[in-house]
Amino acid sequence: MPATIVVLVGLLLIVNFVVINPLLAGAAREVLRLVVVVAAAAALAGVLALVLRHGTDVWRGRGDRLGSAVLLIGLGAMLAAGFYPGSAGAADPAVRWLVAALLAPIVAALFALLFLSTLLAMHRGSTLRSRQVTVMLVAAAAVLVVLLPLGGSIGQGLASAAGWALAVPIGGVFRGLLIGVAIATAIHAARILLAVDGADD
Amino acid sequence: MTEDARRARLPGWTWPILLAGALAIAVLVDGALAPGRLEVANPDRGAADDLATALGALPEDALVLVAMDPDLGTYPEIRPAVRAALDALRARGAALAVVSFTTEGRAIAAAEVARLQSLGVPAERLLDLGYVAGAEAGLVLSVTELAPAEDGDVPASFAAARRGIAAFDLALLVGGVDLGPRTWVEQVGTRLPELPLAAIVPSFRYPEVAPYLRSGQLVALVGTARDGAAYASASAHSDGLPSPTGLLLGLIVALAIMLRAAWGARLPDLDGPTRDAERAP
Repeated sequence: MPATIVVLVGLLLIVNFVVINPLLAGAAREVLRLVVVVAAAAALAGVLALVLRHGTDVWRGRGDRLGSAVLLIGLGAMLAAGFYPGSAGAADPAVRWLVAALLAPIVAALFALLFLSTLLAMHRGSTLRSRQVTVMLVAAAAVLVVLLPLGGSIGQGLASAAGWALAVPIGGVFRGLLIGVAIATAIHAARILLAVDGADD
Repeated sequence: MTEDARRARLPGWTWPILLAGALAIAVLVDGALAPGRLEVANPDRGAADDLATALGALPEDALVLVAMDPDLGTYPEIRPAVRAALDALRARGAALAVVSFTTEGRAIAAAEVARLQSLGVPAERLLDLGYVAGAEAGLVLSVTELAPAEDGDVPASFAAARRGIAAFDLALLVGGVDLGPRTWVEQVGTRLPELPLAAIVPSFRYPEVAPYLRSGQLVALVGTARDGAAYASASAHSDGLPSPTGLLLGLIVALAIMLRAAWGARLPDLDGPTRDAERAP
C-alpha cells in the first residue's frame, strides 16, 4: 500500500511537470498541500517525541538530566514567547530576543569552538604518525596559507590560488560526491516507482 | 622530561584562554598595525560586481523575493554581504518580500526584517511572508501561490505576489542549510526559467552552488567570506566585516600547530602528562 501511494504521487508530479494541463496542475497542487500538512504533522510529532523522551529522563532520573532539563526549559521559553496571548509569533520581540541574544550567539560560539577542537584533533592525530594524517595536515595548511588576509601583489596571488583551489580540486571532489549521491537517489527513486521488490522496505 | 621542565609548563587549559585573549587584542588593535597591508576582501571583484549588476539591472519599484534560509552557525560569515544587498535594494526602492522555508532561516529572517523596519522601510515596501512549511513541497507550491489570497493585510504593492514566485522580478537566495540555492535551481528554476536567481552562501556551500553560476541558472553568486567582504566594502556597508588582524593571527596559530603536527613533532603543553605517566613512579 505505501509503495502504491508513493508510485501514484510520484507519477502524478512527474506528469504534471511535463504536461501542461489545468486538471493535472490542480491535482498536483492538492497533493502538494497534503505533503505540506504531513510534513508539518511529522515536525510536530518529532517535537512531542522529544519532549516525552527528555521529560521521562528528567522524571525518572536517568541519562543526562541536566541536559534534558535545559532542553525542556529552552523549548518552554520559546513556546511561551511565541504563544502568549497577543504574541506576534515568530516575529514577536521576545522570540527575536531569544534568537538574537541567546540562540545565535550560542550556536556561533559552538562553531567557533570547532577552530580549537580541530587543531587539538589534528595534533592528537599526528601522534598516530600515519601518512594519511600527514597528507591531510599538509593540505589543510596549504588551504590556510592561501586564505591569509594579505594585501598587495602577494595577497592577490594568494586570493587567485584560493579561488583555484575552491573551484578545481575542492569543487571537483564535492561535485563528484554530489553526482554519486544524485545517481544513487535516482536509482532508489526509480526502484520505488517501478515497485522493484524490496525497494519499499 | 625533567621535573623542572614539567613545572615550567603552562597547564593545557591556559592555551585556549591565551589564544582567545590574543585574538581579542588583535581585533581591538585592528587597523592600527600596518594599515592597508592586510585585506580580507577578495581582490578579484567579479562575484561582487555580478551581484551589484544583477541588483542594478532591476526596474524601478521592482518586486524582489528574499528567501532567507541561512544557518545560525555560518550566518555571521555572510551577514555583511546580505545586509549590504538588502540595503542596496532598499536604496533602489525595491519592494521586498521575505520568506523562509526552514525554521532556522525563519529565526534569522525575523531579525533581519526587524532591522529593516528599524531603518525606516515603509510597510508598503516590506512584506514578511513568514515560514512556509513542507520543505521542497512548500517551495514548489509557492511557485504558484505565495501570499495568502484572502489576507487583507498584504499591501497593494505586493498584490502580484498572490500569483506566487512567478510574479517577482528577482529572487535573492540567502543559503546555508540544505534547502538553499541548489534546491531553488532544481525546483523553481526549472519551472520559472525566466526568473533571475542571485545567491549569497557561506564558503562551505560554494562548491555545491558554483556550477549553477557557470550554467547561467544563477545570475550572481557571492559564496565566500572574501567575496562577501568585497561586495560589502564596495557597497559602503562594511559593518561586521571580519578583522584582518584577528584573522591573520588565528590562521598563523593554526598553521604553526598544523605544520608542527605534520612533521610529527609533539607539541608541548597541549595535552599535559597522561594519567598513566602521572601514576608511574
